[in-house]
Amino acid sequence: MTVELFGMSRALAGRPTIDLPIDGAIDYAGFLRALAEAVPALVPQVIASSHDALVEPNLILLDGRRAVRDGERFSADDRPCVLFLASGG
Amino acid sequence: MAGYVGPRGLLEIDLTARTAQRSELPDAVFADTLGGVGLAVRLIDERVRGPLDPLGPSNPIVFAAGPFASTPVPAANKHALATISPLTGLLNEGLSSSHFSAVLRRCGLAAIVITGEADAWTTIAIDGDRVRFEDAAALAGLSAHETTKALRDRAGDRSLRVCAIGPAGERGVRYASVENDGRQAGRGGTGAVFGAKRLKAIVLRGRGEVQVADRAATAALSATLRERALGPKTAKYRVLGTGANLRVLQRMGQLPTRNFTAATFAGAENVTPERARESSGSYLELRAGCAGCPVQCEHLYVRKDRDKRSAAASEYESVWAFGPNCGVDDLDAVLDAIGRCDEFGLDTISAGSTIAFAMECAEHGLLPRDVFGTPLAFGNGAVLLPAIDAIASRRGLGDLLADGVRAAAARIGSGAERFAMHAKGLELPGYEPRALPTYALGLSTCTRGACHNRAATYDRDLRDPVEDRRDDERARDAILAEDRAVAWDSLVLCKFVRDCFEDFEAEAAALWSAVCGLPLDGEALRASAQRTWERKRAINARLGWVPSDDTLPSRLFAEPIADGPHAGRSVDPARLAALQATYEAQRRTASSPLVALEA
Repeated sequence: MTVELFGMSRALAGRPTIDLPIDGAIDYAGFLRALAEAVPALVPQVIASSHDALVEPNLILLDGRRAVRDGERFSADDRPCVLFLASGG
Repeated sequence: MAGYVGPRGLLEIDLTARTAQRSELPDAVFADTLGGVGLAVRLIDERVRGPLDPLGPSNPIVFAAGPFASTPVPAANKHALATISPLTGLLNEGLSSSHFSAVLRRCGLAAIVITGEADAWTTIAIDGDRVRFEDAAALAGLSAHETTKALRDRAGDRSLRVCAIGPAGERGVRYASVENDGRQAGRGGTGAVFGAKRLKAIVLRGRGEVQVADRAATAALSATLRERALGPKTAKYRVLGTGANLRVLQRMGQLPTRNFTAATFAGAENVTPERARESSGSYLELRAGCAGCPVQCEHLYVRKDRDKRSAAASEYESVWAFGPNCGVDDLDAVLDAIGRCDEFGLDTISAGSTIAFAMECAEHGLLPRDVFGTPLAFGNGAVLLPAIDAIASRRGLGDLLADGVRAAAARIGSGAERFAMHAKGLELPGYEPRALPTYALGLSTCTRGACHNRAATYDRDLRDPVEDRRDDERARDAILAEDRAVAWDSLVLCKFVRDCFEDFEAEAAALWSAVCGLPLDGEALRASAQRTWERKRAINARLGWVPSDDTLPSRLFAEPIADGPHAGRSVDPARLAALQATYEAQRRTASSPLVALEA
């Protein structure tokens, strides 16, 4: 599964994408555990120390447009993107 | 409790009569408003009781200090700056920050109200409790930065804190900004109101101590907030800055491009600040931030072969306005445009958006294409500087563009209004409302016009698919976002630490109470914010606002997104009207603390 990284996750990983050894569908928590294992640098700034939640306001959008819903399983075809929007001041 | 603790001075200055009167605000005013925007809006509300000319002498300029400025509370050296906008004709409450905000309180002041009109360029010098009016003829034409240096050199005092306008404000550009300590109160044209009053600068020297009510509690709560503000919740601002939005919005297909005619930009990657950072061989990155702030969010870039004093801030909105929105993929041209706006004192969002509007008008034959020595056309980065120069000096076509897209479209005619991307006269920021329904609602109802910082609900839109949320939920989200923004802006806390609170209302109320000494809980904080929001709308109503003004640019209704994953989506006018009706019903049925207070 290829994961696209943006913002902090890309800066911490040092690359724009990461390939995870996942075949078939996976749920949100399983995905985060796999991602944390592949890129330990994402913990704790992007992925919580528990490895099963993202640090707000990071989120995962499938194909950059649709948030993962509770209990939803997704696969490589969904192109998960780890990102955040930053504004204000 | 022994009453409000902290500076409570109100300084009322009449530039026509050259008088200054000082009084003290009572506890009830602070309990009602909290400070900052709440206080500024109340002071405007008491003085603007009907229509007025924003560039006339009766329009007040109000500075209101944040109640945490010059205390140990981090990310809180901020002040509100409110007036009636010459761009929208409505209330404009902006924010600025850093040393000026802190010294305002060290002068014993909670607020300054300036009315009237000087007969020549003037500087107001406030030294503790003394006020002088000084001739500023020699400062005319200088940038805010140069003005600050000149005033410090003249006084032989590097510690002076200065708030000033640049040449754009002097010439009445309706989106001229006001600058202090390198920070800008950018939107809505407050700089033009300064210019109309012939007020070049305000100079502060204050060495008074600012007391807090409960030192131990303030220190403990501040330490917690500071620790969180140095943690992962703000890492994105420290490490990358808001410019990181560019890649994200491009990937999401929500990057307004070429005046909102597209939602993806092929050259986006070329103008991302991250690209400049990653190509460290070419660019120097400098960091800056406000006084007393652990986040230090500002990331400035300059080519290594250039003077580092010309480094420009790479805030998302600024890069977007001159990059994707003008179709320009040359980072140097974009950074130069941002730097030039800061030099002249121009709001980058409105300046970039107005140039994008002009580019589209030229494309359709509504404006001449070759007036700036190089084509006024999407993608031509070389036209940005001559266009900005013309706007700031109100020269030639620049005079037309200096009034913003709404007024320019009205003067051009021939359907130019369809290219004018504004709400209530304020140019749109860099998010795509056609893909963000709650944000679109908030943008339409915002009392300031198209401000992304007063109804920032795009994050909610991203988390919940469009079809998953009901109108009543979206209306509630928009109201919550508006009221919470008022609370932040009254306290005044930087919104970059918004994720550092676990229960914002309760924790912020405890902090305010520890610093200011009056009782406040989360519910009272929410009620104060709601009163301020009601005052904002009441002021606008007196100035001529009517509900039908709460709308969006016609392009968003008539032209679906042309490209990317959200292609085909537009704002359905019936859907927006239904959302607005739900929003209004919820606003009416919510408790009305303002009415209760006045009854």
